Amino acid sequence: MGNSKHLGLILLAPAGVFVILFFLAPVVLTAIFGFTNMSTATGISGGAYVVNESTMRALGERFGERELAGRLLRKSYVIDEAGLQAARESGAEQATIEELREKYLGRNFESRRQIERLLKKLDNRPASIRAIKKIAASFERSVVNIRFDSPEELVAAIEGYGIVLSDAQRQALADVSYTGWVFTTQNFKTMMELPDTWRTMANTLFYVFSTLILFNTGFALVLAILTHYMPEGPAGFFRSVWLLPRITPPVLYVLMWKWLAWDNGFLSRMLEPLGIAPRNWLLDTPANAWTFVILINGFVGASMGMLIFSSAIKAIPQPLFHASEVDGASRWQQIRHIILPQLRWPILFITSYQTLSLLTSFEYILLATDGGPGGATEVWALAAYKKALSNYGGALQYGYGAAMSLVLVVIGVVLSLIYLRLFNFKALTESPKIEQ
Amino acid sequence: MRILLENFTKKFGDLTVIDNMNLEVRDGEMLALLGGSGCGKSTTLFAICGIHRIDGGRILFGDRDVTHTTSQERNVGVVFQSFALYPHMTVEQNIGFPLRLRKEPKEQIARKVGEMAEMVHIEELLQRRPGELSGGQQQRVALARALIRRPSVLLLDEPLANLDAALRLEMRSEIRRIQQETGITAILVTHDQVEAMSMADRIAIMDAGKILQIAEPREMYENPVSDYVARFLGSPPISFLEGRIEDSAFVEPSTGTRIPVDPEIAASHAGRAVRLGIRPEHFQPDGEVPIPGRISFIEIQGRETLFDVELPDGTVIRSIQSANEEARVGQEVCWGINAKKIMIFDENGLKI
Ligand SMILES: Nc1ncnc2c1ncn2[C@@H]1O[C@H](COP(=O)(O)OP(=O)(O)OP(=O)(O)O)[C@@H](O)[C@H]1O
Ligand SMILES: [Mg+2]
Repeated sequence: MGNSKHLGLILLAPAGVFVILFFLAPVVLTAIFGFTNMSTATGISGGAYVVNESTMRALGERFGERELAGRLLRKSYVIDEAGLQAARESGAEQATIEELREKYLGRNFESRRQIERLLKKLDNRPASIRAIKKIAASFERSVVNIRFDSPEELVAAIEGYGIVLSDAQRQALADVSYTGWVFTTQNFKTMMELPDTWRTMANTLFYVFSTLILFNTGFALVLAILTHYMPEGPAGFFRSVWLLPRITPPVLYVLMWKWLAWDNGFLSRMLEPLGIAPRNWLLDTPANAWTFVILINGFVGASMGMLIFSSAIKAIPQPLFHASEVDGASRWQQIRHIILPQLRWPILFITSYQTLSLLTSFEYILLATDGGPGGATEVWALAAYKKALSNYGGALQYGYGAAMSLVLVVIGVVLSLIYLRLFNFKALTESPKIEQ
Repeated sequence: MRILLENFTKKFGDLTVIDNMNLEVRDGEMLALLGGSGCGKSTTLFAICGIHRIDGGRILFGDRDVTHTTSQERNVGVVFQSFALYPHMTVEQNIGFPLRLRKEPKEQIARKVGEMAEMVHIEELLQRRPGELSGGQQQRVALARALIRRPSVLLLDEPLANLDAALRLEMRSEIRRIQQETGITAILVTHDQVEAMSMADRIAIMDAGKILQIAEPREMYENPVSDYVARFLGSPPISFLEGRIEDSAFVEPSTGTRIPVDPEIAASHAGRAVRLGIRPEHFQPDGEVPIPGRISFIEIQGRETLFDVELPDGTVIRSIQSANEEARVGQEVCWGINAKKIMIFDENGLKI
């Protein structure tokens, strides 16, 4: 027994690895990234502590430390052992160096002119102005654009130049100078604040539920029932035709819709004789754009429901149809009293499954309207994709995109749980059907 | 209501399943359509209730020609072989369904359902679903649903085939009782001759889409038109002896036994090969024409015992006896045939 148990676990292990790798990990990573400010600017690996124009601007803006920022950006000069060493290598006389070490070791200068003046006054004055400038350069110190691995190192370097920092300043500096990503809930705050967010959410709900009700469930049901009452040959043909959009590559499929809708496409040409001006029907008004978006997705989405419903209708025992006929049921009564009640669970299944898939699918919208006109057909998943992965400026906000995706994941999980409950409810309440 | 099939023909593609059938079901009678599997019983039933369009002939309910009406318009009650109860409805909804379709008022439906439930004895099951019923209970529900509209005709397609032996016995008399109580014209499709004999007023026996004989059960049992019909009725079944008519008697070749036959038949079929049918109850130890043989098989059926007696050429004659405890398998016996009750069939199997 124990052995077979272990064997089972071992056999399951590869499956477990796959589940974790391909199912769990993306969700977990989305959740993690959603709470970061990752972007093209921060990179996705760790960052460093750097004083530069932009971090110092932040220091000024966020902490009011404009003065400190200015100072840190400026160069300063320190006479120290490292500087002396550098001066020697740049050709300074030994005597000059000795004098500097004895009299001025540890002195700071805020500008180049100050240290040059000092050098000129030395007993062992360098021979030429060129030499003075060269030696002065050896003592030049700047933290600008130097990458420090920790805030302590940065502070140490700064204090090495004689700039004394208060605790608050140190903290502020550590905050602003970090160039890598950090954990933050800022994404969600931003999301709540942007008016676009709510519009996109409303678009998404409209898109999901109208496509779902009109096509993925509604039209699928109509097709399944219609073909049920057709002779087998034409019915099969009809069903196959409805499968075509599903198996056509999306890019080609949408391209054909574009041909249909373009200003010199089929629709415009057909309507021209009727006095309707040619236009790009796909993008001219939000209403038209939505019509196309829903049609494009609906025709693709209806096929699955149609197949499931058709096979569910086929599974209804033939005698039930015969019985209802002799009981006096008209076609419509047969649909209402026999077919639809028997399709309850398939309908629930398709509704739930398609809600989830519509919620996350955006490829057809991307290809057709790209969210236009003016964001009218921008849905949540498309917005997330654009934020994270496709931005004309090239500034991709991975963190924000992930945060948006996370919202979808949460909605999806909540819906799944609700649907799962409904399905479980089925298992609990339904006793086995009589054998037919 | 009388049902009349005139030159009824039904084809499935190229296959003619029923060819020119004529059948009359009298008002108020229960007619059994009896026949082997695939002979076209269900097809006939489905044509009568309008599920199948027919390819030729006419169907009349009373004087009304219903050939081209839909099943919705025919007002027939059907009990399907599988019962075909609606699994998502309660028993009450199942029975009331035909009335609900006609949009009868709720209270009226409830009242009628109550009456029907009482008639088929399922009052306490009304709130259950079909899945929660035994086979016999489902059967009763199906019957109630078929009858609630007071149909002109009740059609039963093998209504007992799915029940176990005890239930079958009970439902046999129940269905008969209900049919007689309501006085409805009914057609019972069955392949079980016991069912047909015990329930029906008349039996129509079918083979390959044709009706061979229509008669009352006893008449058909005693006077079948052919050896096929003779073999179909009776349990245990009839036995046959092959032989010839010689000198006013049937001669069994392997034993030389001579069984006297009707002089008229002897005259008309002198010298011809014929087939003799003997029912088990007409082959008894004290029978009048003894024939020697060996007991090859004994089957104890409780009150009665069934014997197979093998003649020298291997032909078997069956005998059913109420009490005979001496007989053993392998024993040589010389039991007698009741010559008055024998049936004689010609080379084509037709009764002479
Ligand atoms: N829908 C159909 N399509 C083609 N052939 C059919 C169809 N229904 C029945 N048949 C054929 O018609 C013949 C008669 O069938 P039917 O169902 O009437 O037989 P039955 O007498 O009811 O047999 P059983 O006792 O097995 O139910 C059979 O040979 C069957 O194969
Ligand atoms: Mg049948």
